[in-house]
Amino acid sequence: MKKVLALLLMTLVLTAGFAFKAIMVTDTGGLGDKSFNDGTWAGIQRAAKELGVEAKVIMSNEQSDYIPNLTKAAEEVLKEKDGGIVFAVGFMMQDALEKVARQYPTVYFAGIDISFDKELPNVINFLFKEQESAFLVGYIAAAMTRTGKVGFVGGIPIPPVERFRYGYEAGIKAYMDLKGKKVTVIRGYTNEFSDPKKGKDLANSQFSQGVDIIFAAAGACGNGVIEAAKERTEKLAGKGYENIKKYALSGKPVYYAIGVDVDQDYMAPGVVLTSAMKGIDTAGYYGVMWAYKGQFKGGLKVLGLKENGVRMSEMKYTKEIIDKLAPGAIKELEYLKSLIIEGKVIVPDSEEALKAFTVKGVKLPR
Amino acid sequence: MRKVLESILVPVLAVLIALLISAFVIVAIGKNPLQAYAVLVRGAFGSKQAIIDTLIKTTPLILTGLAVGFGFRAGVFNIGAEGQMAMGALIAASIASNFGNIPPVVAIPLTLVIGMGAGAGWAAIAGFLKAKTGAHEVVTTIMLNWITTFVASFMVTGPLATGSGTPKSPEIAASAQLPILMKVGAMELSAGIIISLLAAVFMYVFLNKTTVGYEVKAVGFNPYAAEYGGISVSKNVVLAMAISGALAGLAGVTELMGVHHRFLGELSGGKGFDGISIALIGQNNPIGIIFAALLIGALRTGSNEMQFLGVSKYIVIIVQGIVIFLVAADRIVRTIYLRKKVKS
Repeated sequence: MKKVLALLLMTLVLTAGFAFKAIMVTDTGGLGDKSFNDGTWAGIQRAAKELGVEAKVIMSNEQSDYIPNLTKAAEEVLKEKDGGIVFAVGFMMQDALEKVARQYPTVYFAGIDISFDKELPNVINFLFKEQESAFLVGYIAAAMTRTGKVGFVGGIPIPPVERFRYGYEAGIKAYMDLKGKKVTVIRGYTNEFSDPKKGKDLANSQFSQGVDIIFAAAGACGNGVIEAAKERTEKLAGKGYENIKKYALSGKPVYYAIGVDVDQDYMAPGVVLTSAMKGIDTAGYYGVMWAYKGQFKGGLKVLGLKENGVRMSEMKYTKEIIDKLAPGAIKELEYLKSLIIEGKVIVPDSEEALKAFTVKGVKLPR
Repeated sequence: MRKVLESILVPVLAVLIALLISAFVIVAIGKNPLQAYAVLVRGAFGSKQAIIDTLIKTTPLILTGLAVGFGFRAGVFNIGAEGQMAMGALIAASIASNFGNIPPVVAIPLTLVIGMGAGAGWAAIAGFLKAKTGAHEVVTTIMLNWITTFVASFMVTGPLATGSGTPKSPEIAASAQLPILMKVGAMELSAGIIISLLAAVFMYVFLNKTTVGYEVKAVGFNPYAAEYGGISVSKNVVLAMAISGALAGLAGVTELMGVHHRFLGELSGGKGFDGISIALIGQNNPIGIIFAALLIGALRTGSNEMQFLGVSKYIVIIVQGIVIFLVAADRIVRTIYLRKKVKS
């Protein structure tokens, strides 16, 4: 009890000095999605902890909550002596953020995945080059597939989700161009981001069509995709990471999922091949930092591989398996990554660019 | 008189008991329930903004509550309010975005009628299937809900999609938007709340003062007796579904014309299903439904404020669940009681 009191007192003392607040308003997906909202929140909390300021979250139940919740958050920030920053997380909040930000020109806002037709001086719009991290995981998927069929499960086909798909398919295409292996992609959409069951159903239907690796860019629906891959793999290899690893290393085919937004490899070790990460946490972190230190500058901020705004997970659990079954793939990936950072390979961000995309000019190092 | 008092007492008691039980949950997560409830009330009614927010949320809930409640009175269980609401908004949005030069006097009623018509037509399919083939409306309306979901998400990502690719339709014409009654900051209360209250009056008058209403009620009460009395069962089943659907469509179209001004992917957001709980709490009575919707709307609005205290928004869902349980339990108790009476 005493300890708790002391801790409470300490936080009181710590927060008393700074009258600054970082408030995040989630979309209807809410916290607990293990990807989008949780990722941003982690970044905000990290910054808040470092600075010793208060961070709060309001979850939205429905779309008509966006305006009132953003308004509430802005009002809270206005009350603070040193201001603060309000985060709007998710493309669906575009209209609401624009309306509210106009009403509170002295409050800082940050929109994640939200872009405006006309930028506002008090709003940072964070966008990501999802296609660049998806390119890398697509390349690995193409290298690892045994059936020559890989799957894509998207949420709603909104621009960020589609950019993930373009990159993924471009990575697969790159592998085909460079290695001459034929890989087909089967696509599907859950048309929402919150129900894991829908992701699972779609994944199972793709698996039964002969797909053995699925990349999910579908928020919490993706958790269902991972579950489906895990169930199928466990049926073959038995439960537990050690069993799965031994089974996969022996060269027998298993089912894989590829995670999204944050490092989801831990969610099913050995089954989640890798994750296409998006620096939502980075955006959350810097948003708070900039607002606090007076370095805030409104406008569009696009984060890619170069800015470390998107990346691929470290493949903690699957690296050995990939090295054994697709030798050299990880090294080739490092090379391709450097080409993307140098701007020598431009990963497509539209359907037309994807159709025209090729890496025929690229020579892999021996 | 006693009956009226009783029907008010049951939901009020249910709410109080639910708040009491939830208080224990709040204590269990280490917060002060009194403080939490104070914030809840302040968040729902404490300021002009809060009141506007509450009323905005209450508007569609009154209408879906009326839709389901009307269905219950007419003996049909319309689970499809969700789909009818979305259908009403979707069709209205696709037409009303082209209303460039039509003056508001025409555009507003026209859009409302389109929305109601779409909802009514969509629900009438289930009514027709029930009347002709006996297919139960619970099953068919759920199926129709899914069709709506997929049609809507196809429309907003395909033919209706606007520039940036977010799943939403273009804005409806300014002349088709409902007039704003009150505006604070970015929050606007539209005339939708008045429409919803008028709809409640309509339901009361229709059921209690008209012949058609009497027939619909009679079929709902006992279809065999009604048929024996010369009332067409199949006609009235279709009619009941259509009116119920029109009310749900109205919920969608007021949300479209008063709040979002465009069709969004998840516009209905479960409000059709909330209508079921609201009809239950409001005992299928139009006035009861208004208050039940206000209750749920206020809880939802206040819960957002409560989150600042670190109390999860799900507490409110617990409250809602317990209220429904208790209101439904009241019926169970009454039914058992009645059976016993009949036996003895």
